[in-house]
Amino acid sequence: MSQFMSGEDLRSWLGNLAQERTLIAPIRSDGLVLFGAVSRAEEIALDYDNTLLSPKGHLFPATDTLFTIERREGGIELVPASVEGEAAIFGIRPCDALGLRVLDRPFLAEPADALYQQRRARTALIGLSCHKASPECFCTSLGTGPDDPSNVDILLTGAGEGYIVQAVTERGKALLATAPLVEAEVTPPPAPSPTPVPTEDIAEVARRAFDVPYWARLADRCIHCNLCAYVCPVCYCFDIRDHSYMGRMERMRTWESCQSPGFSRIAGGYEPRDTKGARLRQRFYHKLLYMPEQFGVIGCTGCGRCVTSCPVNIDIREVISEMQRLGASSAS
Amino acid sequence: MEAIERIRDKARELLESQAVECVIGYERATDNVGARPLFAYEPGEVARFIFDQTCHHNLTRYLRDKKDRTVAVVAKPCDSRAINMLINEKQLERERVFIIGVVCPGMVEVGWSRPSQELQPLCRYCRQHTPVVYDFLAGEPPAEEPEPSPPYPDVAEMEGRSVAERRAFWSQHFERCIRCYACRQACPGCYCTECFVDRLDPLWVGIRIAPGENEMWNTIRAYHLAGRCIDCGSCQQVCPVNIPLMLLNRKLGKEVEELFDFQAGLDAETLPPLVTFKKEEKLEADL
Repeated sequence: MSQFMSGEDLRSWLGNLAQERTLIAPIRSDGLVLFGAVSRAEEIALDYDNTLLSPKGHLFPATDTLFTIERREGGIELVPASVEGEAAIFGIRPCDALGLRVLDRPFLAEPADALYQQRRARTALIGLSCHKASPECFCTSLGTGPDDPSNVDILLTGAGEGYIVQAVTERGKALLATAPLVEAEVTPPPAPSPTPVPTEDIAEVARRAFDVPYWARLADRCIHCNLCAYVCPVCYCFDIRDHSYMGRMERMRTWESCQSPGFSRIAGGYEPRDTKGARLRQRFYHKLLYMPEQFGVIGCTGCGRCVTSCPVNIDIREVISEMQRLGASSAS
Repeated sequence: MEAIERIRDKARELLESQAVECVIGYERATDNVGARPLFAYEPGEVARFIFDQTCHHNLTRYLRDKKDRTVAVVAKPCDSRAINMLINEKQLERERVFIIGVVCPGMVEVGWSRPSQELQPLCRYCRQHTPVVYDFLAGEPPAEEPEPSPPYPDVAEMEGRSVAERRAFWSQHFERCIRCYACRQACPGCYCTECFVDRLDPLWVGIRIAPGENEMWNTIRAYHLAGRCIDCGSCQQVCPVNIPLMLLNRKLGKEVEELFDFQAGLDAETLPPLVTFKKEEKLEADL
């Protein structure tokens, strides 16, 4: 027996949820599916493969004010930014839920990032199993899968006219306390199988594939935009700047990317990654070698967004396969 | 002989004779539907070249990365206009590039793993089906270049809307911008070593990825391309959030064409009107 909720009941439960907390869910507009805050359950898209952008922006926003400094009564005061209210992300796919688990490593390691930490603690994750594997998907090669419940509070899996509901955490159980659940004999459809990518020992392989002409050749066609990093559920690099206006100062951070020209330029003008190849290699090495070394996790979840959105088809699946070949051959 | 055979043969000849360091063309992408740029350095690689209606990338964008080398590039008619624009603006030496021109049937609206037979809207308004400059031509030029009438139906439609409607239209689109700069990076005309948007002093546009800054970024970029945009549509093609950037570029292109009878890149000699100044010119505006 499984816990079950009809599609209609799901909408009404989500509608109630949106009244008591900020509900972030997939919305279809202008032909795109993006996560956004919804006030009514009717706004939510349920028939999507995955969203164009990952949900990371709701925990690590594209632009975030860190603090402001304001003049007050003859003195100045530093006002740190804070997060208010509870939130829930509905419709997060298992790959993106893993993405948040990976983001926890850099952001929650001491000293924890205060804003990320507050948002993460206040955001419940209501996952939705994948009904199909898109051609670019390879999550099963990165330790998760289309129906993996391990990184969400609640997992819903479409079955028949509704959803099988798994309460994964205590928070999930509490959220479901008012949900119209029924016990039902429902069999979930078989989980789709994404095409595997050879990620075995990728960090070890990467150590041997660093100094090869492949990177310069691959980077020939890279146009060095920030698109791959901005659609990625894991990329977390940012820039920080101060803006002052009319006696008020604001320190903010925004998304940045290692592909952007000038990203690694340091005081005095020195550019440690001064070739296109070195810049592009950094993206893959941060994910496949440096994050495993530093945090014990691969910085990729197999969501495939960079694969579909790269304007020049720099395909991480192909890059990983090529690294396996290059890492193996230079070892022998 | 098929155009692709002629491209491959020419590429092989150029590489074998070491006339060029590499040939920049197209190969099939990993979705087996679309195309991607291919840089061929060895004669053995030329068999990978393809050319069909999915080859939308403007490869002349890469010429700035190979500035001190001699390379060959496959150029569609709009791409060939970029070469003239770059030569005109002293960004490229003509003798450093061997242009393999291709007669263009128009590009289709392919997406990732999503084939399409639908012609891209921009290609429906195209007035050049044969490159305006080339060293070698693959394909047979059409007997007559079509003249769409009027040439800017998309812009005219937009001009017909009220200010409030246009305001709402652009606000909605710019709000989605994530400032990934794919538009700038794909553009052959955006070659500044330091883009205004990256400048700290003076600070022209703040770093917020938010409606106000997004609008500034996209609007200023469009103005920098006024009378310089060669209508290839790469910016719009790469935009992940579907901002119709070409509508802005074409509005400015239309103004420049109507005022100065000028289209960017048709030749390498005529100075674009907005980069020149004549003493006898005066502003006849009602100030």
